[in-house]
Amino acid sequence: MTANLVSLGVQLLVLSAVFSKVESLRGWSYDQVLFIYGFSLLPLGLFNLVSVNLYGFSEQYIIEGDFDRILLRPVNPLAQILCSSFGTGGINELILGGAVMAYAGSRLGLDIGAAGFALLPLLAVSAALVYTGVFLGLTALSFWMEDRLGLAPPVYNVIRFSRYPVTIFSPLVRLLLTFVLPFAWVAFYPAAWYVGGEQWERVALLTPAVGGLTFGIGYLTWTRGVRRYTSTGS
Amino acid sequence: MNGAGAPALPRWRRGGPATVALYLQFVRLAFLKMLAYRLRYYTGVVSYTVFVAGNYFLFSAIYASRPEGAEAARLGGLTLAQMIAYVILSWAGRSFTFNNIDRTLSWQVSKGEIAVQLIKPLHVQTMMLSEALGEAAFRFLLFTLPILVVVVPLFGLAPPPHPALYGWTLLSFLLALVVNAQINFLVGCLAFYLKNVSGVVRAKMIMMEFLTGVLVPFTFFPGWVQTVVAWLPFQAVSYVPVMIYLGQRPGASLAGALLLQAAWALGLSVLGRWFWNRSVRHVTLQGGVRWRPRRPQGPCCRAARAACGAGCTSRGARPRSSSPTSRSSSSRGWPTGWTSWST
Repeated sequence: MTANLVSLGVQLLVLSAVFSKVESLRGWSYDQVLFIYGFSLLPLGLFNLVSVNLYGFSEQYIIEGDFDRILLRPVNPLAQILCSSFGTGGINELILGGAVMAYAGSRLGLDIGAAGFALLPLLAVSAALVYTGVFLGLTALSFWMEDRLGLAPPVYNVIRFSRYPVTIFSPLVRLLLTFVLPFAWVAFYPAAWYVGGEQWERVALLTPAVGGLTFGIGYLTWTRGVRRYTSTGS
Repeated sequence: MNGAGAPALPRWRRGGPATVALYLQFVRLAFLKMLAYRLRYYTGVVSYTVFVAGNYFLFSAIYASRPEGAEAARLGGLTLAQMIAYVILSWAGRSFTFNNIDRTLSWQVSKGEIAVQLIKPLHVQTMMLSEALGEAAFRFLLFTLPILVVVVPLFGLAPPPHPALYGWTLLSFLLALVVNAQINFLVGCLAFYLKNVSGVVRAKMIMMEFLTGVLVPFTFFPGWVQTVVAWLPFQAVSYVPVMIYLGQRPGASLAGALLLQAAWALGLSVLGRWFWNRSVRHVTLQGGVRWRPRRPQGPCCRAARAACGAGCTSRGARPRSSSPTSRSSSSRGWPTGWTSWST
């Protein structure tokens, strides 16, 4: 919790420093950006609940050979792995994210209504599926490659920049974050349903589709990898 | 023969040159160890490129939305070109000054491996600083330079106002490395008092990004924040060297800025030595044996004398190449999660 709070505090300081110099960031106000940041913590928290098992997957399951045990059981291997332990730090992020959204929302005078509340879990889960899909795909690469570290850390570092409204970035970056590495869908597009005005509502509603698609691609990579798996034999 | 009650052992001394040679050995070994793990720094180059690129686009957007007619297109005293140089140098500097002393030390304390360090005839603080220097030599050649080779052509690094500042910046980053190592050592010592220090280590890492000025230059903040950070040692880790490059160093003069860093390096070393001598009395090793040295600096020398016996010479104090630190510091340690801050 300490680390989560410190991280939040630093983020708030940086945002307030930036907005003490400019009134709006390409049309986005401090409160809007803050709301998007708060929303981004929800899928991140959900993802962190299960992602501890993906991190270190190749070491624990492939190199140590634990995956043999998983395959012997009559339950989906991925479900077994994701649920084998929970990163309880994710709960902190859910709480803090909710608090930041409530604070920014009240400053914006936002009235999200019943539909908004009903939509929130759907959007958060869909966005979490984007995370899970991307990192599942990257984790699955360890079925092909011996390298233990791989590409996951640099990709993870992109997250911190995808919490800003993507419209502030150049068209190329926007394109990359929307279609190639779809991290714009974990914070900005879904959160824009609440703070972006009418033109963003339809885009935001595509989030479940993107989440499903990303997770689908990740899962497909995973199953292909599982078929390729050969035990270390130790 | 000096009368009755002569000491059983002659006083053991290593001598100056042998001591220097001993710690140089740790510098060398740390460099070689990093060399063995060099593959993992390839993805690190990508990570740092992501950091620089993200901040580049972010600050470009911030500068593009600054109010009309803002004086001379500056925000917080920096033009956009200077801001980009600030971003590049902050992250490149971080790739150079970074080390894991806090993680390594706290890991050794909680696993009990610190016992092995305590019976060696050396000072753990100096040894860890030496290892940080060796690591930094590796980082400079095979991490920071590759990052610069990728990042500078992509985003463009404005030259400093005077060519001599290249050299002074480099010197300043060397001092920054020592300051950072001493801060990490102090944080690592906390493991003697706290049962679980990993949260503190993580929180410190996040806080450092802000307090050293890597995330945003302090000139973006109101005056009172600048006053506070000016009194803290953290600005010496990144903000001071970067501002020296930009020709906008804090303080009266270039010499003043460097002296400030040197003073922090020295002050924190002394503080670290004092804190270590206190903390080491707190160590509770597996099985509940509590370490009680008779003299503050005792544990190392006394135990070593006992271990080496009376015939111990300066050559006998050479570290073996497979010392536990050289294995543990980067291959093991606290789990970092997905973030690659730790590279």
